[in-house]
Amino acid sequence: MNESIAAEIRDKARELLESEQVDCVIGYEASANNGARPVFIYDSADVDRLVWNEHCVHNLVTYLHDKKKSQKRGEDPPRVAVVTKPCDSRAVNVLLAEQQIARERVFVIGVACEGMKEAGGESQERCNRCADRVPVIYDVLIGNPPIVDPPPEAYADLAEVEALPPNERLAFWLRQFDRCIRCYACRQVCPGCYCTTCMFERDDGLWIDAGIELEQKHMFHLGRALHLAGRCVECNECERVCPMDLPLSLLNRMLAREVETLFGHRAGQEEELSPLLFELGEEGSPL
Amino acid sequence: MKFTTLDQLKVWLDGLTDKYDLVAPRDVDGKVLYRAIGSADEILFDYERPDLSAKDFFLPATEVLLRVEQQGSQVTQEEVLLDRKQVIFGLRPCDAHGAAAIDALFLHQDPADAYYRHHRERTTLVGLACPQMWGGCFCTSVGGAPDDTTHLDVLLHEVEGGYAVEAVTEKGTLLVESLASEEREIELPEPVSDADEVPVTSPEKWKPLFEEKIWMRHGERCLSCRICTYVCPTCRCFDVVDRATGIRDGVTHIERIRVWDACTSPNYRRAAGGHNSRPTKPVRLRNRFYCKFCYYPEDFGPLGCVGCGRCVVSCPVDIDIREIMQDVAKAK
Repeated sequence: MNESIAAEIRDKARELLESEQVDCVIGYEASANNGARPVFIYDSADVDRLVWNEHCVHNLVTYLHDKKKSQKRGEDPPRVAVVTKPCDSRAVNVLLAEQQIARERVFVIGVACEGMKEAGGESQERCNRCADRVPVIYDVLIGNPPIVDPPPEAYADLAEVEALPPNERLAFWLRQFDRCIRCYACRQVCPGCYCTTCMFERDDGLWIDAGIELEQKHMFHLGRALHLAGRCVECNECERVCPMDLPLSLLNRMLAREVETLFGHRAGQEEELSPLLFELGEEGSPL
Repeated sequence: MKFTTLDQLKVWLDGLTDKYDLVAPRDVDGKVLYRAIGSADEILFDYERPDLSAKDFFLPATEVLLRVEQQGSQVTQEEVLLDRKQVIFGLRPCDAHGAAAIDALFLHQDPADAYYRHHRERTTLVGLACPQMWGGCFCTSVGGAPDDTTHLDVLLHEVEGGYAVEAVTEKGTLLVESLASEEREIELPEPVSDADEVPVTSPEKWKPLFEEKIWMRHGERCLSCRICTYVCPTCRCFDVVDRATGIRDGVTHIERIRVWDACTSPNYRRAAGGHNSRPTKPVRLRNRFYCKFCYYPEDFGPLGCVGCGRCVVSCPVDIDIREIMQDVAKAK
């Protein structure tokens, strides 16, 4: 199955590059350490490097930010094809709604997903929670959507934390944030974190300064979670990349659930702005 | 050679806490980290490679250099130098090599870095030999070994029934005087060193490769986060910033702090006016490797890599320093 999907990805990549529909294909290549890693293909002669397997965990949509600007003065920005899983595909919609990418410059190679695995072989937790098997946006769909059992309650682990009294919940989170080393991997990997100057890295340090103290990290993580409310697509990359194993998805999923409950909005499900980022028109608020 | 049991070792370590700040590997919610220790019972004695190096205890992630207080027209400044002695116990040999690599710049240049020197001179390093090389490790390729004593004051080896104690320096000999032990003939265990050798190439080999495609190929998938530099025992770049810490009783408090910085970070090379001479991920990543194998050895002597393998196992997008070293060795 994986091999036939990989073959179709390669064929499509070759076709797109040879016909000059795109300048670059962002996909996965084999990795001795982890089974798969991101790769950028510019030449149809290199498409055989593309693979597909259960270790294609990375959300490649985040790399579209590197392709927003033209590489040379006077030229148009590059056109890019990106291999996209269902969870990742919602990030494409978020970036379209936020006018970060132009639809005609992105070719979405959607892949039907059976769920991804950790390096150790066990299913990724996010995949156990996920019922999406087909990308919400694609230009070509590769693979047959598998039929899967509906996932169990997606917020069971969240309920455990929420059941704690407030002081214990605060203690839980401070204990987690204490391990943070401020490497910013969670921010760097996130397709929704693309501010030119992150408010947490400003020279004037209005909210937090450069120190490693717990209060700085507390502010950083809560601030980051709030900035992603209604925008986070729950790809869980922030949690995957964290070298200190902070359970960051608990924060993001709590906010995602609140937004869905209050506004019926699921980030990136369709190409529309989050209701938390609505536009004020002549009629006033759309809410 | 001195032989001591685990119980004797714990009694000794507990005794040390009277005079020293004791730092040792601890289980912190599943991560193994060098942390300040109150009692020997908190220490992990059976662990692999701690997830972070021990550099935080010489070059803290945040260190207050100066405190300034202002009240009306009165301004007072106070330099902050903590007078603490510390023992780092359970240090892996690669982390001692890492400290020595930083010494080359912060200690052995004139003038030395006063803050760094302060921490280093007050620190005694008690190592615990690795019984084997762990995933990603390649210390034997860059001049180290799982049981290397170089740059340590004492090295312990786990042996049948306890530990063999190898005092390396005079400082170490003095420190272990209070450790209950007996003299025994001990054949030290040979660590399992089965990691593939990685080729180390000279700065001369690196120089003509500056514009090679290697950097684009590996650098494009880089996230420009700081994991590799922060877990690294030799990365030592820092930033100095001033911060206001509040107004209390009419007195304004300001601190000047030194914080870790990372050449992989997008802002690292940003200059006044906004120009950034390393504007893309590949050129930033390239700098990290040139620093380790070209600039640093040329300018200060040691390699900027001790083969601890932390960056290998913690990079979210599989940028593998061993692969880079091989690519450079293979390049024509």
